[in-house]
Amino acid sequence: MFPRPFDYARPDSVDEALAALAANPGARPLAGGQSLVPMMSLGLAAPDLLVDLARLPLAGSENGGGSVRLGALTRHRELERSAELAARAPLASEAARFIGNPRVRNRGTLGGSLSHADPASELGTVALAYGGQAVIAGAGGERTVDLDEFFAGFFETAVGAGELLTAVELDVPGAGSGHGFHEVAGRADDFATAAAAAVLTLDGTGAACATVRLALAGVGDRPLRVEAGEAVCAGAAIDAPLLGRLADAVADAVSPEDDAFISAGYRKRVAGACAARAVESAWTRAREAA
Amino acid sequence: MEVGFTLNGKARRLDVPAHWTLLRMLRDIAGSTDVKHGCGEGVCGACAVLVDGVAMNSCSVLAPQVDGATVETVGGLAAGGKLHPLQAEMVMRGGVQCGFCTPGMVLSALEAVRIGAAGSDEEIRHSLAGNLCRCTGYGKIVDAVAAYRDGEAPDDVPADAGEHEHRPEGGGSAASPGVGVGH
Amino acid sequence: MSDVEVEAGSRIVGAGIARHDAVEKVQGQTVYAADFALPRMLHAMLKRSDYAHARLRGVDVSAAEAIDGVVAVYTAADVPQNTVWVDVPGQTLEVGALKARSNVLADEVVRYHGEPVALVAAESEDAALAAVDAIVVDYEPLPVVDDPEHALDDDAPDLHESGNLLAHWEIEEGEVEAGFAGAAAVVEEEYRTQFIDHAYLEPEAGVAWRDTDGVITIRAATQVVEHFRDVARILELPDNKVRLITPYVGGGFGGKEDMTVEPYLGIVAALTGRPVRMVWSRQESLTARQNRHAVRMRYRTGADAEGRLVAMDIDILSDGGAYALLSALVLLYSTTCAAGPYRCPNVRISARTVYTNHTPCSAMRGFGGMQVALGYEGQMDRLARELGIDPLEIRRRNFVERGDRLPIGQELETVVELPALVEAVGERAGERPEPSGPRRAVGRGYACNLQSYGRCIWLNDWSSAWVGFELDGTLVIRIAVPDIGGGQASSLIQIASEVLGVPPQRVTIHIGDSALNPLTGTTTATRQLYMSGNAVLKASRELRDALAGVAAGLLEVDAERVEFGPDGVSGGGASVSFEKLLAAAASVDVPWHVLATHHAPKGIPWQADESWRGRVFPDFTYGCHAVDVEVDLDTGGVRLLRYIAGHDVGRAINPVSVEGQIEGAVAMGLGYALSERIVFEEAQNLSTTFSQYLIPTAVEMPRIESLVLESGEGMGPFNARGIGEPPIGPPAPAVAAAIHDACGVALTELPFTPERVATAIAVAGGGDGAG
Repeated sequence: MFPRPFDYARPDSVDEALAALAANPGARPLAGGQSLVPMMSLGLAAPDLLVDLARLPLAGSENGGGSVRLGALTRHRELERSAELAARAPLASEAARFIGNPRVRNRGTLGGSLSHADPASELGTVALAYGGQAVIAGAGGERTVDLDEFFAGFFETAVGAGELLTAVELDVPGAGSGHGFHEVAGRADDFATAAAAAVLTLDGTGAACATVRLALAGVGDRPLRVEAGEAVCAGAAIDAPLLGRLADAVADAVSPEDDAFISAGYRKRVAGACAARAVESAWTRAREAA
Repeated sequence: MEVGFTLNGKARRLDVPAHWTLLRMLRDIAGSTDVKHGCGEGVCGACAVLVDGVAMNSCSVLAPQVDGATVETVGGLAAGGKLHPLQAEMVMRGGVQCGFCTPGMVLSALEAVRIGAAGSDEEIRHSLAGNLCRCTGYGKIVDAVAAYRDGEAPDDVPADAGEHEHRPEGGGSAASPGVGVGH
Repeated sequence: MSDVEVEAGSRIVGAGIARHDAVEKVQGQTVYAADFALPRMLHAMLKRSDYAHARLRGVDVSAAEAIDGVVAVYTAADVPQNTVWVDVPGQTLEVGALKARSNVLADEVVRYHGEPVALVAAESEDAALAAVDAIVVDYEPLPVVDDPEHALDDDAPDLHESGNLLAHWEIEEGEVEAGFAGAAAVVEEEYRTQFIDHAYLEPEAGVAWRDTDGVITIRAATQVVEHFRDVARILELPDNKVRLITPYVGGGFGGKEDMTVEPYLGIVAALTGRPVRMVWSRQESLTARQNRHAVRMRYRTGADAEGRLVAMDIDILSDGGAYALLSALVLLYSTTCAAGPYRCPNVRISARTVYTNHTPCSAMRGFGGMQVALGYEGQMDRLARELGIDPLEIRRRNFVERGDRLPIGQELETVVELPALVEAVGERAGERPEPSGPRRAVGRGYACNLQSYGRCIWLNDWSSAWVGFELDGTLVIRIAVPDIGGGQASSLIQIASEVLGVPPQRVTIHIGDSALNPLTGTTTATRQLYMSGNAVLKASRELRDALAGVAAGLLEVDAERVEFGPDGVSGGGASVSFEKLLAAAASVDVPWHVLATHHAPKGIPWQADESWRGRVFPDFTYGCHAVDVEVDLDTGGVRLLRYIAGHDVGRAINPVSVEGQIEGAVAMGLGYALSERIVFEEAQNLSTTFSQYLIPTAVEMPRIESLVLESGEGMGPFNARGIGEPPIGPPAPAVAAAIHDACGVALTELPFTPERVATAIAVAGGGDGAG
């Protein structure tokens, strides 16, 4: 239908926003609104107060040595289409293309997506596959949380009541590395049945994989790393038999639940296939770059 | 609350409840019924508008969020009594049937061509994912967008239906009244 | 192939001209049902049931009524005539004519999730929504019936007094068991289809007001302006005190064939005296508007060694949902088409539709004739494999021909061009594509079908149209046709233009108004071009004949030599403007307009008895489709590579519109094949959003190539056949055949989701060696 009434605030600074959020337990921050506004229209969310973050200076990106810092208000469109970001964090660029539809990507933000913590979030897998830090502002100032600790449960994160995610620092590997992303969905613009993101680093010989960070979406209560899959790849050359073992290991390691549309068993199978394809792409890219 | 924005080139200042979506404000206060309500959940694309030149689902944007912005709807595209060339292609190639998806489809396609996301049929199709059409099967829409991208589109098609010249030769792949198998 | 005969030359008919309505639609100027507003207009909204089956202990509207801006809250007791009775034709006397009931607002019991319980009218939509939220319904949950197989069990609760059998049809021709005894091959399979939604882009909407002389006037998105009579009955008003107008409709596909917003708008306008608007949300539309029937079909089919069919035994069970609506007629279409476009001497068909607590099912493009294509085409492919015969060849050996009878007793009166279609489609398909990578397999499938156009002949269908000149030589068509997006109105313009010479841009058509325009019947059953087209053709020809007589005097030539052109008439080297011609006509009492009616053919009225056989429909349209798919052997994903759809349309009045109908119906059929389904859990609808109900996007759709054959035979104007529904049948069986061709798995349950495909591949051994 459409949203029920709520109060609306549009603060000019992070501090003002934090104060508004802290003052009202029924308040929610509004970033791109591409999940929140439809949820309100569907009657699935009914906040008392929306704190619109549009005027906060949280867009833009900065390059660190081995990392890239992305403001929370960086839009998916920016991740997808910026040549600079695509060169620096190509996994984010590739995964962003699978989010919603073009207009959702034009409006939706990185911080909003991560804070919403949909279990099928593509950017959740990007955050976990790169690793790094989430920058969270609160009444007491800023704190950082390891991205591995960011997703806390079903639509839950390390961002506490009265806090805001303001930036994400992704650890981006240098030479001798590659990324891969693969998603299976019922249709374009559908939530992922499963999606996998991989960041692979070659060892000194260039003939084997040193480490892989592998993250999956759609197959648990949150986006998650699958260490059992990473272990299969570590130290090995990636070939077809290994990818088969990887797919099996990932399928075994994840524990999605049955729903009325898709069975747990099928999600496990697809998780394995996505993981294998993501790692295969990452391997091929790393070898080509080396 | 008051929301000030530019709608199809005209400054507007409207009093609107904060919880209203941009879609509601446009349709029920600004009178822009050319913006269509198809799903209210950001999936169908019928409500697409351009906000500061960027395509958005107006059902998923709140009215206060366009304060200070420029909003364009499909009703603002025709100029000087002529259809926008992309609109002309949609008409001539049979890309319009029931017409309910058309306003959003046109604006999404326009953005896709502008930003270079319509280089091939496949790219056009990906750019239009999320603009649902239940009538056409999409082929004639993709053809219209490709023709517009390639600069083949006419810029002299009257915007007034009463003045519209019906062009038997311009109607797409089946323009010739063929008899028998295969046209 | 027959020669085409076009009596009136071919100036406009046959040209792919741009549709007049597209110019406004592409600019957003078309005033759809939800775009209309009236001064002091109220906003109406429905409170819908949270339960699929429950007794209403009480509906407390006091809190809702207390909300500022709420004008009225109505429950069943407030509706003048709350019960709507419908005919249920079928070979079952338990239900019978005018015996199936449904309610405008639920009374005592709700029988499906989303059934309307209360109606709110308020000064604003915000107040209406708040009131809906504030209504408290006290439900006593009842056990649900959600499995049609068990709906007829003794211990299943009866959902209606007449029991859970809604309707059935039984046909037996020839000696079925003897036929099987002589068969060289017998294949047996069970097929299942799912519930789906029409999912047009325009949700149900309309406005209503009380007009002069107390006429309740409703302007709503509907396929049927004749629903003014149903609203009159609900309001206990004479039929002539309700008027229904339909503007251009944003898609129908059968979903706006039954009433949606009309009764509620009528109630509020009549009881409050205020104008009112009602717009359903997408979620309401997906939750509670009627669906396509889910059907379970068991087919046993026998053939001789050459692949010629010798026996068929077909058992059909359809889930009609909670109320009768049009289920009995939908089942008749399934029964009529169950054997497909094939000859078979010995056929038994047993078809039943039953009540459950699912959303009521009713009309949708293909109307029962399309589900069975999965069955009869699946059987042809199985027989082809069993006997080692090419799938197109086995079909060729069995196609019906002119003069044959379908099992229900209908004789086919027009040419059946299936052999030509099969040849043309096979030739166009050419070489098979290569897989795009390892663990991918490609395959090709074919499917043929027949689908009726026009309503059941015992409904004595007719269409009227008024065609007249204006003094300046422009032309006006008045006809209450609803245009639901298929070009219904623009095709009529082409027909009048063809006959009377006035260019299309100088023709104006007034559509969709039950009071001011001649009634022409429903935009359903692929009947508008066929019926309204014939009515406009008849009116145009009569008008031309009348005016030609006047012109003959002015031009001093024989009437047959008078030609009608863009600006007037000519003959014998002279010409006269329309203005002069019309003045001359007035002077000799020849009117400038004609009202004409076209009547559909008659037949033996249906009787509720098992021996009844006869003509059901005016005629049929036939098709042959081909699809190439690529199957991802790991994930089960099916990518559509190419699609070819061939149909004999008799005569294409507007080839672009014909292609539009074919491509759109194929896309809908492909969504049905691969992704669309309404999922229920204990009769609770879980597919209530567009992010859960997956209609295809441009990405999933291949390029759909229409292959249009014009046999010159059909019962529509200029020998056209209807094409709105027919192309929706073949996609699902064609995709099933292509998946089998790609990876050797035979799927029988729609939709062929990646999970189902992957599971079948896993069961079959992983797809290794496929290709």
